[in-house]
Amino acid sequence: MSEASGMRTRPVARVLQYAAVLGYLVFLAFPLLWLISSSLKSPREFAAITPTLLPKNVDFSNYTNALEEQGLVRSLGNSLQISILTTILVLIVALPVSYALARFRSRLRPITNGWILVSQVFPVILIVIPLFMILRPLHLTNTIPGVVLVYLVWSLPFALWMLQGYVAAVPRELEEAAAVDGASRIRTIVAIVMPLLRPGLIATAMFTFISAWNEFFFALVLLQDPELKTLPLVLARFVGAEGQVQFGPLAAASVLATVPSLVFFAFLQRRLTSGLLSGAVKG
Amino acid sequence: MRKVVTALLAASALVTLAACGGNSDSGSGGSTEKVTLKFQSLAFQKTTVAATKKIVADWNAANPNIQVEYVQGSWDSVHDQLVTQFQGGTAPDIIHDESADITGFINQGYLADLSPYLSQATKDAVPQGVWDTVSSDGKVYAAPTLLQSYVVFANSAALKQAGISTSKELTWDDLAANAKKLTAGSKYGLGWGLKSPTATVLNLGMNFDGKFFDGTGRDAKAVIGDAELEVPKRIHAMAYTDKSIDPTSLTQSGSDVLPGFYAGKYAMVVGGNYAAQQIVAEAPKGFQWEVLPPLKGTSAKQAANPQTLSVPEESKNVKQAAQFIDYFMKAENLAAVGQGDWLIPTTQAARDAILTTTGGKDGWQQTLASGAELTKAPFQSVENYPKWKDQIATPALQEYLANKTDLSALGKKLNDGWGQVNS
Amino acid sequence: MSQATVARPKQNREAIFLFLPALLPVLLLSVYPLIRGIALGFTNARAGLRVDTDFIGFGNFGKLLHNELFWDSFRIGVIWTLSVTILQFVAALGLALLLNTDLKFRGVARTLALIPWAMPPVVVAIMWRLLLHPTNGPVNKVLQDLHLTDHPINFLGDFSTALPAVIVVGIWVGMPMTTVTLLAGLQGIDRSLYEAAAVDGASAWRQFWYITLPQLKTVIVAITSLDLIWNFNSFGLVYVLTAGGPGGKTMLPMLFAYNEAFRYGNFGMAAAMGDVMVVVIIVFLAFYLRNRLRSQA
Repeated sequence: MSEASGMRTRPVARVLQYAAVLGYLVFLAFPLLWLISSSLKSPREFAAITPTLLPKNVDFSNYTNALEEQGLVRSLGNSLQISILTTILVLIVALPVSYALARFRSRLRPITNGWILVSQVFPVILIVIPLFMILRPLHLTNTIPGVVLVYLVWSLPFALWMLQGYVAAVPRELEEAAAVDGASRIRTIVAIVMPLLRPGLIATAMFTFISAWNEFFFALVLLQDPELKTLPLVLARFVGAEGQVQFGPLAAASVLATVPSLVFFAFLQRRLTSGLLSGAVKG
Repeated sequence: MRKVVTALLAASALVTLAACGGNSDSGSGGSTEKVTLKFQSLAFQKTTVAATKKIVADWNAANPNIQVEYVQGSWDSVHDQLVTQFQGGTAPDIIHDESADITGFINQGYLADLSPYLSQATKDAVPQGVWDTVSSDGKVYAAPTLLQSYVVFANSAALKQAGISTSKELTWDDLAANAKKLTAGSKYGLGWGLKSPTATVLNLGMNFDGKFFDGTGRDAKAVIGDAELEVPKRIHAMAYTDKSIDPTSLTQSGSDVLPGFYAGKYAMVVGGNYAAQQIVAEAPKGFQWEVLPPLKGTSAKQAANPQTLSVPEESKNVKQAAQFIDYFMKAENLAAVGQGDWLIPTTQAARDAILTTTGGKDGWQQTLASGAELTKAPFQSVENYPKWKDQIATPALQEYLANKTDLSALGKKLNDGWGQVNS
Repeated sequence: MSQATVARPKQNREAIFLFLPALLPVLLLSVYPLIRGIALGFTNARAGLRVDTDFIGFGNFGKLLHNELFWDSFRIGVIWTLSVTILQFVAALGLALLLNTDLKFRGVARTLALIPWAMPPVVVAIMWRLLLHPTNGPVNKVLQDLHLTDHPINFLGDFSTALPAVIVVGIWVGMPMTTVTLLAGLQGIDRSLYEAAAVDGASAWRQFWYITLPQLKTVIVAITSLDLIWNFNSFGLVYVLTAGGPGGKTMLPMLFAYNEAFRYGNFGMAAAMGDVMVVVIIVFLAFYLRNRLRSQA
């Protein structure tokens, strides 16, 4: 707990604590290790009745097989395109809004916070059917821009929540000095606030990217053209194809799909405990 | 303030640009000149995918103005995918599915009547009984391509060892007797992948004249009597009385069971005849297997639930799409995909072609012969059949086959469940 | 131009301009669909070419009342939501407490503990299917080595084990976020409170019960409420793990409604199911939050 109580911790309790941490880590990290190890096993080793944690010989053929799968590479491209476009749009839209939320006591603030809450409570099934009906006349069903727009709107709550906290942490005095010099509000935001917000913008961008990269439900309903499918959709279909699952290449593709999120998370993890919650703690 | 407005305009312009920038030309062409048709194929075995792609390539070479684009779909998600595609107006021009699955789409008005476009030759080549599975009110909504039946695959060496000779017929009593004879120690006479039991039970149910439904569309009534329950009853008896079916195999999929078949754990397996392709591709060298004669109860009848090709009512190029389907139905093409999938073509000419090329080996003789016994089953024209299958029949049958309920409870569930899903 | 001197109307106007780029997409793709989605539950909208949609009042809800399958799925949804949320909270609190000590390697531990959060749900599902596989999954291997079972268990395929197995995966996925939140809460607790308690000779358990828990209350209420909502509405994970099977034993309400809409084409009925889910969530949250807040006062 605290250092004060830590000092009094007896050796037995200490050992138990380490054992508990170890137990947690095995539970949380072992599955990924197993996935990676599976992806490096040859098909023959895979079929073995007694599985081993470490592959006997490291075999990269699953990766080459997975990448030869035409649909997979295309879906990788689609996922990248969608995630990047979503991230850019979210930043453009979220920055001015979160600025306004943090700085002005306007009536829009409670409305926005209300919307953020409501958007969390409502099951997506209720939204996806009308979305479908709205996007159809706009010729946006089954298109990448359609999905990007939907992701934009559904990533906004979290982005606003995060970014608000960062904006609030920027000292007001700097802006006021600029305002005295006659700079307009937009100018102030771009020239003064944005540079100071860089860590916040980067964190928001990464989060948005990850959530778009991982998203499944909207993509499942909105993208039917096999050429437009995102990585999670293709992976999900892999599993079911007539019960003939090629686990090796599937594991390899799964590892590839996890890499971007994992890398971003490694970058983000220092901020996670502090920055992420600044919005929440302020309530 | 003007600057604010400009900045905002720029930002919203970006949004709009991003929104409209993508490729939204799904029904390209439009003019009378060249059209491109999307063909969503569900072929999944390598051999069939190759055969289907070759048919498309041949067509494209011969028809520069009607180009067909091969799009890969999957049997697993085809129904959900078609619902969203129809609803979103993005359905492919040529749809591959099975007849029991498209009944709902026909009733919803999504499929085009192909009868004005299909050639007389195609119409004559397929028996009327098979056309019936895709027709309604005199209109034809799809072309039936391949048929599947359920067959018994056997390990030839194990049969010989147990002194079982295969005759012309295989009754259910024979099957039970053989399975018992072949069961010893940790080896089971029969492995049966029944994770999705409904299709098997309803198709084979016709062996005993099992009807399951009376009437069509939304007015249909469930009919569950002794005849309908005969197949699950017999499977259950083999698994739990004779102990000649491995009960775990009943919870697995058809292809999950095959490794046990190669390894000698199961002397026989029951499955769709397409499993033969997998056996040929996977089984270890020297593994001897054969297809036993069609299963027989009071008859050897099974339900004909053909794979089909159809065209959406909303397609801009129904005529051209039908022309391609007509081409697909030619004997040599059906023979090629049939041979790739180890399924039975709907036309006699294509069956003959396969018999010639294969010489009837590897069970082709029996496979093709079983095609003659396939007829339309009542469940195929029942609109809510897919829902009943998912929500009622599959769970109820799984439960019964896991030995958790008895036969009368199964019958009651199947019957009452219909009232629930069809209300 | 200090904050105090700015007139409110001007602020409102400026704020609106800053809101504008977000407004159109949010109104069009979130607010409008929400309202229309709720309304859809009162119609007989269904799949079909040129079918008319009629307003049918409470017709769908009347039918739902007698739909045992829907209530079965609802019951499964409640079991799933409560089990995952509670167990996840307990597990996460334990981990957060450990990570808040002066143990060595806790930096590494903290990073590794985030792994599940970073993974796409679809990949999580695939991964657990590998882990729980009856013939070559490590879980069955370990159980058999320990002689806890003599035959491999098809965890995701067996009627009695499917839901518990899916719940374990649900806990695994949600733990990091809950842990991180609780850890941040723990770090915000004033040290001097513990020091004072230590002087009074309070045991570690008493410190936990009388200082840590009360101090964490706001964070706990916030994160468990969010977890409740997210778990009740979850879809992708179970869709790929079991698709609701075997025999509907893991058919969460979202999956059930999805099938109603996109398998059977009954959009109005599916929306009605969504409406029922919203009402249940709101009632549940209102009850939970009111109780929590009252006991806090």
